[in-house]
Amino acid sequence: MKLISAELSRPLPAIPPCSIGEQWVLVRLHGEPLGFVTPPAAGASPSRLSALILDRLSFPIVRHLVGDGMAATGTLTDLARIPRECPHEPRPALRVTVAVCTRNRATHLRTCLDAIQAVEYPRELLECLVVDNAPEDDTTRNVVSRYPGVRYACEPRPGLDRARNRAIVESTGAIIAFTDDDARVDPLWVRAVAAAFEEEPHAMCVTGLVVPGELDTPAQLLFERYGGFSRGVNRFVFLADRQEPVGNRYAGAGRFGTGANMAFRRAFFDAHGLFDPALDVGTPTNGGGDLEMFFRVLKEGHALVYEPSAIVGHLHRREYRELRSQIENNGIGFYSYIVRSARAYPRERAALARFGAAWWWRWNARRLLRSLAGRESIPRDLIFAECVGSFKGLWRYGTSRRRLAGEGES
Amino acid sequence: MIEGREWPIAVRSVEVSVPVAPITDVTGYPRTRVFVRQTGTLVGSVDIWNGGGPISATRLRQAIAGGLAWPLMRRALEGQLGERHEANPNAGARTSGEAAMRPMSVSVVIATCNRPDDLRRCLSSLRALRPSIPLELVVVDNRPAGGATPAVVREFGDVRFIEEPRPGLSYARNAGFMAASGDIAIAIDDDVTVPQGWLERLVAPFSRREVMCVTGNVLPVALDTEAQCRFEAYGGLGKGFEPIEAGPDWFRAWRTAVPTWRLGATANAAFRRSIFFDPRIGLLDEALGAGMPTGCSEDTYLFYRILKAGYTIVYDPAAWVWHRHRVEQRSLRHQIFSYSKGHVAYQLTTLAREGDRRALVRLLYSLPRVYAARTWERLRGRSEYPLPLIATEVLGTLAGPLALWRARRRVRRLGPSLRTQPHAVSVESPVTETSGS
Repeated sequence: MKLISAELSRPLPAIPPCSIGEQWVLVRLHGEPLGFVTPPAAGASPSRLSALILDRLSFPIVRHLVGDGMAATGTLTDLARIPRECPHEPRPALRVTVAVCTRNRATHLRTCLDAIQAVEYPRELLECLVVDNAPEDDTTRNVVSRYPGVRYACEPRPGLDRARNRAIVESTGAIIAFTDDDARVDPLWVRAVAAAFEEEPHAMCVTGLVVPGELDTPAQLLFERYGGFSRGVNRFVFLADRQEPVGNRYAGAGRFGTGANMAFRRAFFDAHGLFDPALDVGTPTNGGGDLEMFFRVLKEGHALVYEPSAIVGHLHRREYRELRSQIENNGIGFYSYIVRSARAYPRERAALARFGAAWWWRWNARRLLRSLAGRESIPRDLIFAECVGSFKGLWRYGTSRRRLAGEGES
Repeated sequence: MIEGREWPIAVRSVEVSVPVAPITDVTGYPRTRVFVRQTGTLVGSVDIWNGGGPISATRLRQAIAGGLAWPLMRRALEGQLGERHEANPNAGARTSGEAAMRPMSVSVVIATCNRPDDLRRCLSSLRALRPSIPLELVVVDNRPAGGATPAVVREFGDVRFIEEPRPGLSYARNAGFMAASGDIAIAIDDDVTVPQGWLERLVAPFSRREVMCVTGNVLPVALDTEAQCRFEAYGGLGKGFEPIEAGPDWFRAWRTAVPTWRLGATANAAFRRSIFFDPRIGLLDEALGAGMPTGCSEDTYLFYRILKAGYTIVYDPAAWVWHRHRVEQRSLRHQIFSYSKGHVAYQLTTLAREGDRRALVRLLYSLPRVYAARTWERLRGRSEYPLPLIATEVLGTLAGPLALWRARRRVRRLGPSLRTQPHAVSVESPVTETSGS
């Protein structure tokens, strides 16, 4: 079953019965996500759905309407009549490049590009760029050629961060918004990202909400339970205090978002460098390139905005085996990022080491102990996989660096 | 929640009946406290952890909507229901009868002790008001030996200036109340500044005859130093954003001591001047208050007597003033010690002078219970309140009786406040005719 989206300023849909997996409804108002409701498997009529929504999400609705009404005080009847348009609709002005990095996944890429084609943003301000990373054949190029207005670029050396860097070099927008080939962006995604950049001039990075694209298999449900990518429906602006090491509070970069839904100002790369080619998928580190960049944004004194209205649906791994290897890779990638940042910023070393140890205890070891005591619902081998991955991550970054040096690149 | 250093905190106020503008001048502040106004009245405050950066309009709007959605919504509804009520012709008759009153004159009494900069700011803000009612300013110098005050007063021209050399805030305020000529006497501290509309809001409830005292909220104008932030975190001087009305029923309803300390403070309080000549009420008790061993509670005791005489006190948070907390504070512990001491002195005074046995319940049952509960919660790790502060409170409580005895002895030596009785107030006030009944 696909994730269903219900926009409160439009008539609510009827929820059909669901035969496999679970169905979640993402409730939105003027595009802003308010939260999830889970209708019964037998489906729900629009009135049943509205009862469910009011039961769970009254306060977010009131909060949104009060925010809207602050300019013009509405009347009681007006409050019950949700306006079709948000009074704070920003006007698009920034040129945005949407960059998709892909490798040998033509079927996924098609869905991804279909979604990008449906994005509501002025075409003259939107550029779409597909970076083909170390392709084995021409499939990706052929897929892209079928989409008018989508540019194709090839990065022959393997590595997601290298592909991202190629996208930055090839792009023409002031904002570069990254998404994955297994993600489906929301039609309002680009608009929300651009609006966040316009409203927060000191922000160099905007991340957004990543919702599950489907919840059909047990592995996909398990990934959401394990932690998922969703970081809540409240907007946050992160800005580090200059008077203490950034790592004291912001080393846990996973909570800022993920590479499937992140956007940067080009100016940031001009000033503070590109993605680290020794990190992320395609290198021994298997991840962490996005986290490292989030940390770098804060470390360099810029703001990072988590904007939940910028929504991307992510297709989680369908098979348990894939899920386990992804979770191990999360561990490797996270500690690779910690090691990389400690090497790049000597003054952060103590804070990062403290956080790395505390995180390992809090997230991995405690879950493992709970699991051994039989009080943990998440399968033990997943927890164990991340524990092991965390240790591997400690030296994988070094390995990756040496390999790069061997290839004649620093 | 992402948090940073606890202080400094930038203080800003935002009006939400017009589109909010971004706050851009908070660089260097990890956190910003935004006081939210809706068509002039105060709704509440929200804290935004801005980490030294600017706050965009969207973020400001979302923070306000998130923190104050219910009060804003309630006010919007009240406005509408009220409008509907006003539209009803039968409702109009009662209110117009109530509103029929003689125009009032107002005196603002500022007691000061050698703080020329504070006093200058205070008088400037009063001069900047565009009052719709006659306004007299009275400055009482409680430390004439300091010599700095007269020069400041001269800068402002038409200000009545008197001296009260006997140390004690109550002495000074009493002298000011007596020298004032208005129907209403407003006491404010010398370290406050007043916003536009403050005066009208503070005196508005006096249109009802039973109202003898109106107090308002006291908000921090700056939270730049640790001392200022700690003082505010401990409770500050404000009494919250909900209006309170306390009358004779409220006074009698309490089985333990009447919590008059919830009704405000003389940092921002207006009194009908006739009460000072009412034998049941009178002036501030000289033995209580700053400058005396007791340290505080002169205002709470006056509130007590107003209520006991059968009158009403209104706390209107919309009539707020800005208070500059001391930049360098004697330690928080010293302050808490002083508060506890003054509180006990007040309880003993109501017991001895008014025969109110509810004070005993407070002293022998409620207070020990509060301290015990606080200690217990702390030991169980459910509260953050530090044990040394609890100990300080207990010590202050124990020191209360001695402080009161020393203060009384000093007042016997210095003599009572002068009670002159200007004719204008006692004879013509419409209040004194009916108030006795």
